[in-house]
Amino acid sequence: MSIRTSFDEATEAYQIPKLVRLAPNLYAACFTLMKMIPARFILRRAAADGHLEAGTVIAETTSGTFGLALAMQGVHLNREVILVSDPVIDERLYRRLTDLGAVVDRVPATSAGVVGGYQAARLQRLTEVKAEYPSVFWPDQYDNPDNPRSYVLIAELLLECLGQVDCLVGPVGSGGSMCGTTTYLRSVLPECRAIGVDTHRSVLFGHADGHRELRGMGMSLLPGNLDHRVFDAVHWCSAAAAYAATRQLHQRHALFMGPTSGAAYLVANWWAVRNPSVLTVVMLPDEGYRYQDTVYDDDWLRTAGHLGEPVPAEPVVVEDATRPEGAWTAFDWGRRTLAEVLAGARVPVPGAR
Amino acid sequence: MRSLGELDSAPGRRGDLASEIDIGVGHAPAHHGELLQGMFYDGSGRLRRALVTLPDPGRGSRAVFRPSERHWGIVGTPELIKVRRAAILALREFSGHPSPAKGGQIEITSNVPRGIGMGSSTSDVAATIRAVADYHGVPLSREEVGRLAVLAECASDSVMIDDRVVLFAHRDGMVVETFGHRLPPMVVVGCDTAPGSVVDTLAFPPAEYGDAEVGAFQVLRAAFRRAVATEDVALLGRVTTASARINQRFLPKPALEDLLELCLRLGGSGVQVAHSGTVAGLIFDAAQPGLDQGVHECMAGIAALGLELTGVIGPAPTAASIWPLAARVPA
Repeated sequence: MSIRTSFDEATEAYQIPKLVRLAPNLYAACFTLMKMIPARFILRRAAADGHLEAGTVIAETTSGTFGLALAMQGVHLNREVILVSDPVIDERLYRRLTDLGAVVDRVPATSAGVVGGYQAARLQRLTEVKAEYPSVFWPDQYDNPDNPRSYVLIAELLLECLGQVDCLVGPVGSGGSMCGTTTYLRSVLPECRAIGVDTHRSVLFGHADGHRELRGMGMSLLPGNLDHRVFDAVHWCSAAAAYAATRQLHQRHALFMGPTSGAAYLVANWWAVRNPSVLTVVMLPDEGYRYQDTVYDDDWLRTAGHLGEPVPAEPVVVEDATRPEGAWTAFDWGRRTLAEVLAGARVPVPGAR
Repeated sequence: MRSLGELDSAPGRRGDLASEIDIGVGHAPAHHGELLQGMFYDGSGRLRRALVTLPDPGRGSRAVFRPSERHWGIVGTPELIKVRRAAILALREFSGHPSPAKGGQIEITSNVPRGIGMGSSTSDVAATIRAVADYHGVPLSREEVGRLAVLAECASDSVMIDDRVVLFAHRDGMVVETFGHRLPPMVVVGCDTAPGSVVDTLAFPPAEYGDAEVGAFQVLRAAFRRAVATEDVALLGRVTTASARINQRFLPKPALEDLLELCLRLGGSGVQVAHSGTVAGLIFDAAQPGLDQGVHECMAGIAALGLELTGVIGPAPTAASIWPLAARVPA
């Protein structure tokens, strides 16, 4: 009844994940660039609402894939994009961003030591940028409700392709992808379980802020788009475990993905094996190209002390969400708020249907 | 109102009466509320109010048009303002065809209960349009009947599009999406959740949906698409339940959660409601083991809740032959 058609623009194609079966009860949503979903949605909506006039500059604080997605959409919209980033931004990503016409504004390395780290320094610099230009649009991925809202696209896709999703597993950063996708899935499947994957010393689920080796996951500031009540369970994954799982995903399934995808796969695979009658979907946010010289390079792993470290078979279940220890820990979040968890309070999980 | 057992099921075609040549006959089925209703994006990205109707082929309206060179008269129930509007509109629409008719008389015979959300007025209106078209010898597509029905009554259900499952923009008179040729095989036990009360659909304001609800409708639509394509009644029931719950904000059915609990307890898939009426239906997979007993227990359970049965709708002819009389409420 319907035929396949072409995409109108590159970014429309980039936002569609490939849904791949990894096991009879485990499917992976493999993204080339997951952040394209909120970036495209937010900018197109801004354009439709008249917030992107000719000469309006798009400015955002990002050192990763959200900036890349904005820069790509900026090409389609013919608008200047200014990205305030860490000094440690990946050189190849930097070249790609500038080739797309984006201006990359790096905060000084000295800001690493202040409270909130680079993230706070970047927000400060963004405020300055906003004052420098007459008309600036700030996508604000951390607090803009259009970020989670944009993931209705994925909930639609999963329901049309699978009809049933009992558990969704994915890495958490801004909170947009996991909170948005889960919330929309639950409009049809209220009992769908959500497992968030974070990394040690990220403030998202109760750890104190500290040094994190794993990039693209974990935060130093709490984003408004993270609705903790969405999550049934939270896992914390070390860089070493994430790297090993990333390689395992490549070797077992020929999926060439980044380390946040590896961390999510580690948790999802464990869950799917333990729950064979349950259908699990794992979100794999980006591809492996940016990590060829690191995660996919044995010499680099050896130097970093990660080579030969076995992938843990199962997480250590912790009773206290605030303690960052071990390579892989899990906590029964129970759809509570952060305050409820920190207070040790128990609330009943909302019933099915 | 007369009850019709012998309704002509071929819409728009000339029936026995039409052999007199100077009259026109039309028929349209009724429905039992909606499976899904909300706001949806059309092909050009515009948001439109739209719905998926649950057809009730066992009920309907029949219209007979007798032309007059003088004036209009409507025979049937006295309150058929929409029928009169539809007849005048249809006559104007076909004015290019040679005819002595300046007006005429419409006789409506229907076994559709009124004011409880079973599409009585759309059924009357569509039958009328078809009767006038029949008189003029104009073949009308189902979509054209839908377009004219919306012109006549502002908002129309999609009872006239009975050859496929459609998402129908009921205020624009257009098909937003065709899901498939038929619904999955299922049995719906219907009831009136507020016996004795009547909803005035003309006075009822359209629902105002928020951003989150519009997002949910996108997801419900995708799930519904799969449910029809894969004949998945369980998934369809989840969609209709979610849609019915969203409607609780606008025209609540106090018994909704009780009915859902009853349905799930008996192995059913979910509930559907009339979004501008009081009827609700409990959905069962026609292939489910112990269906017969489940349906009978369901009917008893509805009675125990103090609600009135409206009937049992099922994949023809099986369900109709199993529960035709026991469940039917006299029209």
